[in-house]
Amino acid sequence: MADTASPEAPPAPPPSQDAQAARPLPAAQAVMAVALAWLVPGLGHVYLKRALRGLIFFMLVMISIGIGCGLQGNLYRPMSGQWLSYLATLGEIGMGVPYFVLRYGLHYEGQQEAAGFEYGTAFLLTAGLMNLLLVLDAWDIASGQKE
Amino acid sequence: MLSHFLLMVVYALLVSLFFTTLWRRERRAQIVLFLQLFLGMVGGGLIVAWLMYPFPPGPPAPIP
Repeated sequence: MADTASPEAPPAPPPSQDAQAARPLPAAQAVMAVALAWLVPGLGHVYLKRALRGLIFFMLVMISIGIGCGLQGNLYRPMSGQWLSYLATLGEIGMGVPYFVLRYGLHYEGQQEAAGFEYGTAFLLTAGLMNLLLVLDAWDIASGQKE
Repeated sequence: MLSHFLLMVVYALLVSLFFTTLWRRERRAQIVLFLQLFLGMVGGGLIVAWLMYPFPPGPPAPIP
């Protein structure tokens, strides 16, 4: 049987940067990271000191939104009697501030007659769902479950 | 001009880059996952399109 407690055994290494980064943040900071992640795509990661990843996420989500709007995709709003429109609206609201800027600032709605309407809708929905995943990712990082 | 294939490739590119950045940290693992996702989506789309090729297109959908 090996003697693991011998005096020649090397000392335990100090905790790595990853282990330090995996510490959970205080609840207030975690909530702030989640809120920022929802409001502006990638901002939660920037707040959590993952600036490069935050910038990449911001660009990917904004490019998706830009293509969706360029194709005149549907910016969903709840419609009575159409339950799927509630789900789709929730999905697109996931993109955060850009949804409200498009809806109330630019009065964008999409154009059903446009050739790229269906494709644009897919891009807009995907942008919202991607940002919702970023919110969950920010929560995982802030709560120490992920590096 | 609206190209269905180009839009599919751009969509696959965006989604692949997103999940690669989200799920992987090491460069080599990122490249492997990106290729798996991107080629899977584009190749899968082409296979589904090929399978649907014998079916007639049908009338255009009515605009609600």
